[in-house]
Amino acid sequence: MDALVILIPLMPLTAASAIGMGHLFGVISGEADESITADIAGWTISMSSLLALTLLSADLLGKNTGFYNVGHWLNSDTLDIQINFITGGFNVRLAALFSVLLAIVIHFSVNYMHREAGYHRFFFILSLFSSAILLLVLSGNAVGTFIGWEVAGLCSYFLIAYAYDRPVAVANATRVFVTNRIGDAAFVLGAGLSYAWLDSVNWSNINAATAQFTPGEATAIALCFAVAAFAKSAQLPFTPWLARAMEGPTPSSAVFYGAVMVHAGVYLVILLRPIFEHAPLAMAVVAIIGLMTAVYSFVVGLTQTDVKSSLVFATSGQLGLMFLECGLGFWQLAGWHLCAHAVVRGYQFLVAPSLLHHAHGNPIKPVAAPLAKLRWGYVASLQRFWLDQIADWALVKPVRGLAHDLSYFDDHIVDRIMGIPAPAIRTISSLAQLEEQMIGAQLDNDSDTFAQGSGLAGKLTEWTAALLHWFEDRFVLRGIGKGTVDYGRRLGHIANKVEQSVLRPRYLVLFVFITLLIAF
Amino acid sequence: MGILSILLWTPAAGVLLLALISGQNIQLIRTIANLFTTIAFLLACRLLSIYNSHDANLQFNEYFPLNPKLGSAYALGIDGLSMPMLVLATLLTSIALLASFSVSSGVKGYHICILLLEFGMLGVFLAQDWALFYIFWEVTLIPLFFLIGRWGGKRRHTASLNFVLYTMGGSVFMLISLLAISQYDLEHGGSLMSSMHQAAQDMPRVEQVLVLLGFVIGFGVKMPIFPLHGWLPLAHVEAPSPVSILLSGILLKMGAYGLIRAVVMLPEAAKLLQPFLIFLGLFGMLYGGLLAWRQRDLKAMVAYSSISHMGIVLLGIATLNEAGITGAVLQMTAHGLIAGALFLLVGLLYERTHTRNIQDYSSLVQVMPRFALFMTLTLLAAMGLPGSVGFIAELHTLIGGYSSSPSVVMGMGLMVFFSMSILIGSAYAVRTISSLFTGPVKPQMQQVKDLTAPELLAAGMLVSGVVLFGLSPGPLLDLSAATIAQMNGVISQRIL
Repeated sequence: MDALVILIPLMPLTAASAIGMGHLFGVISGEADESITADIAGWTISMSSLLALTLLSADLLGKNTGFYNVGHWLNSDTLDIQINFITGGFNVRLAALFSVLLAIVIHFSVNYMHREAGYHRFFFILSLFSSAILLLVLSGNAVGTFIGWEVAGLCSYFLIAYAYDRPVAVANATRVFVTNRIGDAAFVLGAGLSYAWLDSVNWSNINAATAQFTPGEATAIALCFAVAAFAKSAQLPFTPWLARAMEGPTPSSAVFYGAVMVHAGVYLVILLRPIFEHAPLAMAVVAIIGLMTAVYSFVVGLTQTDVKSSLVFATSGQLGLMFLECGLGFWQLAGWHLCAHAVVRGYQFLVAPSLLHHAHGNPIKPVAAPLAKLRWGYVASLQRFWLDQIADWALVKPVRGLAHDLSYFDDHIVDRIMGIPAPAIRTISSLAQLEEQMIGAQLDNDSDTFAQGSGLAGKLTEWTAALLHWFEDRFVLRGIGKGTVDYGRRLGHIANKVEQSVLRPRYLVLFVFITLLIAF
Repeated sequence: MGILSILLWTPAAGVLLLALISGQNIQLIRTIANLFTTIAFLLACRLLSIYNSHDANLQFNEYFPLNPKLGSAYALGIDGLSMPMLVLATLLTSIALLASFSVSSGVKGYHICILLLEFGMLGVFLAQDWALFYIFWEVTLIPLFFLIGRWGGKRRHTASLNFVLYTMGGSVFMLISLLAISQYDLEHGGSLMSSMHQAAQDMPRVEQVLVLLGFVIGFGVKMPIFPLHGWLPLAHVEAPSPVSILLSGILLKMGAYGLIRAVVMLPEAAKLLQPFLIFLGLFGMLYGGLLAWRQRDLKAMVAYSSISHMGIVLLGIATLNEAGITGAVLQMTAHGLIAGALFLLVGLLYERTHTRNIQDYSSLVQVMPRFALFMTLTLLAAMGLPGSVGFIAELHTLIGGYSSSPSVVMGMGLMVFFSMSILIGSAYAVRTISSLFTGPVKPQMQQVKDLTAPELLAAGMLVSGVVLFGLSPGPLLDLSAATIAQMNGVISQRIL
C-alpha cells in the first residue's frame, strides 16, 4: 500500500499541468470550457483524497511500513538526495484531512468563481498548491518538504495577486512573499545544518540521530526550523502578513490562510518533535512566541470591524496556542488542535461572505466593559501594535537607503564604465514615451540606436563589432566570396575566347599539321 | 543487410519512389516524403534503443569490399560519436519537412533534394571508410546546391555558387590529406579508419602537421572555422528556412564530426597545432557573437551565432582532453537542437510577416503567445542558460579548456574570453526577446497568427529536447562517454 503515496501529490500536479498546457495551447479557454477545467481539478483532487483515505486506513490497519523510497534524485559526491515519502502516523492523517478539505474547497470554487476573469488560472494555481501541500506533508526528506513549502508560498503569492490589475493586491502579494522568504531562508539553513552535521536530509534520520547532536547543535537546527515555522504560520513578528493576504478570492483564502497552508509551520514543529525535545531553549522560544502571538491576536482581534480580518487574527491566535502547546510538550494536543482548527476555520472562511445572512437576529456581543475602557490598548490594537511600521523602519528603510547609495554608485561609476542597457522606451506605454521625449531621449531615430552601446565597455564592444563587420564585409564576403565568383566568371570568358579562336579553321588546320609533324 | 544499411538506404528508396510519381500530385509527394523521413527517424530511434552505450567500439558493423586493389570498401558502423548525430539528422529532416508545407513551386524536386540530402548526411555519419566518407561528403553538396539555388531568396544564385565553391575548395584539401596518408599504408590502401590510424603513426612529424592542416581546412569550411566561414551568412540567409535548419543543424556538425575523427588519428600534430586551434575557436566565438550582435536581419543573426557556437565545438576539440571533447560532442547536439529550433521559428515568423528586420517587430507576445514561449526558451538556451542543454556543453568545454591550458594565466585568459563571448551572446539574445515580444503595439503586427498544430509539434519536439537534456543530461552524456573515453585514451597515449 505504501506505493500509493506517490500518486497523492502527483494527481493534482497532473491536473495543474493539464490545465496549464491546455490553456497555453488554446484548447481550454473562455467560459465555454469552464466545466472542463473544473472537472479536471475536481476529479483529480477527489481521487487524491480517496487515495489518501485509503492510505490512512491501511496505516490504521497496520499494513504500511511507514516509509517508502522511490529512488535517487540528486547524487553528487557525498550529497545523496532521495525521493522518499512517510507513509504512516501524523503525516498520513494530515494528508488525508488536507486532501479532503482541498477537495471540498475546489468543489466550492466551481460555482463561486463562475464567470470570473482568470477562472482557469485560479484552478491551475489551486491544483498546483494542492500538489505542493500534499508533497509537503508526505515527503520523507527536507528537500521534498522544502519544494512543497516553496511552491505553496509561490501559489499563495499568485492568488493574493489574483486581481493583478489592482496595485494594492500586487503590493500586498509582494510584501507577503518577501516576508515568507525570511522563513524560507531559515528552512534552507536548517536543512543545510542537518546535512553538515549528519550527512543526511531525511526526516527519519534527523529525528533518529538527535542523541548524536550536542545540545548546541540541536538548538541551532531547532531554532532554524522554528523561525521557518513562525514565518509560515504567521507568528510574531511575522503576523502582519496574514492580514495582507486577504486580497485573494475567498475560496483561496479559506484554503491557504484558514484550513491548510498556515498549519504547515505547526506541522513542521510537530514533525521535528525529537529535536525540539532535545533543545529546551528552542522549546521555550516556541512556547513564548506562541503565547505572545495568542495574546497579540486576541487584543488586535477585538477591534477588527470586517469579517475577514477578525478571522485572520482568530487564526493566528489559535496557531499561537498550538505553538504554545508544542512548547509546553503537549504534542498530541497540538496535533489534534491543528486538525480540529483546520476544519472549523475552513468552514468559517467559506461562509464568511454570507456572514450578514447568518448574523441576522444574532448580533455580535460587545467587548467586556473593563477592556473597553483601556484607551491606549484601543489605539495599539487598532494600529496592530505598529508592527508593520516597525518592520518598515527597521528593515525596509535601511535597505532602501542602501539601495539608493548603491544606485548612485551604479549610475555614476559602473554605468560610465560598463554602459547602460538600451533605453526602456520600447517596453513602456506611450505616456511614458512622451515623458522620455521631454527629458531628451531620442525617439525618432531609433534605427540608429541599434547595435550601439554606451559607457566604456559598450563603446568598446560597438567599435570592435564595427571593425569586425568591416573586415567581414570587405574581405570575407566581398573579397573571397564575391571575388571568387567574379574571378571565375572572368576566367570563363577568357577560356571561351580562347576556345572560339582555337576553333577557327586556320588554327584548326595548323593544329592538325603540328600534330602530324610530331607524330611522324 | 543490417539495420545500418536499411537506415541509410531508406531515404534513397524514397527518392526512387518520388522520381516515379507525377509532379502534379503534390499531396502524394508530401505524404511519401514525410513517410520516408519518419521511417528513417523511427529506425534511428530503434537503433538508439538497441545500441550498447557501454561498448566503446564500433557496433553493427557491415563490411563489403568494393575495390580490393585500392582497398575501398562499403563499411558502415556506429559509435558514441555518430549515434547522437544520426538521431539528430533524422529528427531534423523530419522537422524540416514538417516546416516545408509553404513550398509551392517544384514540390517534387524539392522533396527529392531533401531526401537525397538526408541520404548523404546519414552516409557521412555511418561510413567507416574514408573513401566512402568522402563520397557521401560530396553527395550532400549536390542537393544543397539546388535547394539554395532554386528555392532560395533574392541572391540565391550567388549564395549557392559561393557555397559550392567554398566547400569544393575545402574538400580538395581534405582529399589531398587522405591521399597523403594512404601513401603510407599500401597494405590496407587507406580503407578502414583504424588502419589509417596505424599509417598516420608512421608518417614524419612535419607531414602529420601538414595533413592535419589539410583536414582542418577541409572540415573547417563546413564547420565553419573563423576565416573560412564566408559562405555561411549568405547561404543561411538565402536558403529557404527548412534548408537552413538542416544546414546549421546537421551539415555544420559533419565538419566537427570529421575533425574529431581526424584529431584522434593525428594527436601529435594536433598537440603541436593546439594553441592555434584554441585561438581560432575563441576568436570565432567572439567574432561570430559580435557580428551577430550587429545584425538587424534575424536570420543573419542566427547564422552568425552559429559561427559563435561552433567556435565552442572547435575549442572543445582543441583541448584534447576528455572534458573538452565531451563538451564538443554535447555542443554538437545542443547546437543542432537550438539552431534547428531558431531557424524553424524564424522561418515561421517570416512566412507570416514577410520581414526579417528585428526592428519591425513589436509586442508579439499578445498575438503569438505559444511562439513567444518557444522562441524565448530557445534564445535563452542559445545564450547557455543553466537548465538548457547549451549550458551543459559550454560548462564542459570551459572546464576542458581550463585544464588543458599550460599555465594559470593562460587558463584565466581563456576563461575571460569565453565569458565575454557568452556575455555578448546573452546581449543579442535578450535584445531579440525584448524587441520581438515587448514594446509598443504596432498595428501591422496585430494580425499575425499563432503557431498551428504541426508547427507546434515540430517546435515542441526541439524545445523539449533542449530543456529535458538540460535538466537531466545523464542519458546524453552516457551515450558518448565510452567512446570519448577511448578516444581520450588514444590521444593521451600518443601525446606522451
